[in-house]
Amino acid sequence: MKNGTVNLRDLTILIADAGSYTRRIVYGMLRGFGANRILEVGDAGGVLAALTHQKVDILICDAKLPPHDGLAVTYAIRRNSDNENRTLPILMMTSDAQQGTVKKARDVGVSMVVAKPMSPTTLYDRLAWVAYDRRQFIDCPTYFGPDRRFKIEGYPTGVGRRASDKSIEISEMSEPNLDQDDIDSLFMAARAGQSE
Amino acid sequence: MTGKPAANPDPNVRIFFVDTRFQQMARRPGGVPKELAIQQAESQIETFKEEFVDWVEQEIQDISAAFKAISNSSDIVPQLGDIDRRCRQLRDTGTTMGLELITFVADNFCKVLDTLKDGAPYDADVISCHVDALLLAKQKNYRNLRPDQVIEMTNGLQKILDRAKKSTEPAIG
Repeated sequence: MKNGTVNLRDLTILIADAGSYTRRIVYGMLRGFGANRILEVGDAGGVLAALTHQKVDILICDAKLPPHDGLAVTYAIRRNSDNENRTLPILMMTSDAQQGTVKKARDVGVSMVVAKPMSPTTLYDRLAWVAYDRRQFIDCPTYFGPDRRFKIEGYPTGVGRRASDKSIEISEMSEPNLDQDDIDSLFMAARAGQSE
Repeated sequence: MTGKPAANPDPNVRIFFVDTRFQQMARRPGGVPKELAIQQAESQIETFKEEFVDWVEQEIQDISAAFKAISNSSDIVPQLGDIDRRCRQLRDTGTTMGLELITFVADNFCKVLDTLKDGAPYDADVISCHVDALLLAKQKNYRNLRPDQVIEMTNGLQKILDRAKKSTEPAIG
């Protein structure tokens, strides 16, 4: 996870957004990242048609994609057990990155959410995160998608944690643990309301 | 590319690893390093910046025209829908293209329009303020300013939004 460079060459990336300028910006960013196979659609029908007619490697979709929304599109992709694109990585763009929206996106099986307006750095980091993500998939009667129990401890590209943040790895013990008598005496003191 | 299912005690739940084609291919060596990728992406965006400013001008003119059409129309919904769609585009693209103030005003405007969807009464003055703010924000001497450089304007718009939000709350008593 240290390197975090992404190679987008020959990957088919589908951008789905009703806004022609948003699509153009995302397209420009992806070209800058080295992508050479980029498709654009403006509605949910376009997404489903593109997925039917060709192999798409990642979907970058707006949460408000007409006519229903991008969450409904994600749900449709994930829930259809005959769909070969069920495990397709889906990056959801949203102008409303409030907790409720992010939670809804997570619950329909979105791989990662990115807030709009977005910068090239943000998009690159999210793509790298999806590329290096080792999350499991969950298939149960009420959910199909990436494991929702996860925590971002920083992006593979190194962004997301401050340089001064301490490592999450726990070091070896430098001293022996307390024995049970020590623990009991500490609790006894606490229960008796003593400070020492 | 579905891997071996991981051990799981619940028979109704299947847990498995997936290494998609995207993941396999994106991790190949030979990708564009982050700094260069960002630089190249910014250069790509720069190539249509001038055209973008023209587009912003046109969108704001169209928003203004749609607002004027409301006063001559018995059904305001299509016009408001048109304004809403254009505002969202401006909000989503402005900051990326270096027009932070446009994004701020458009975002505030979108939130005001959301209050209408939530049941707030239509108030032409509220819409008019936002249309005027957009017309001002697109002007050459304003368009490159940040919201914190025009505090009076941003505070004023925020107050209007707060008032609009309040009007959607149910009355107490």
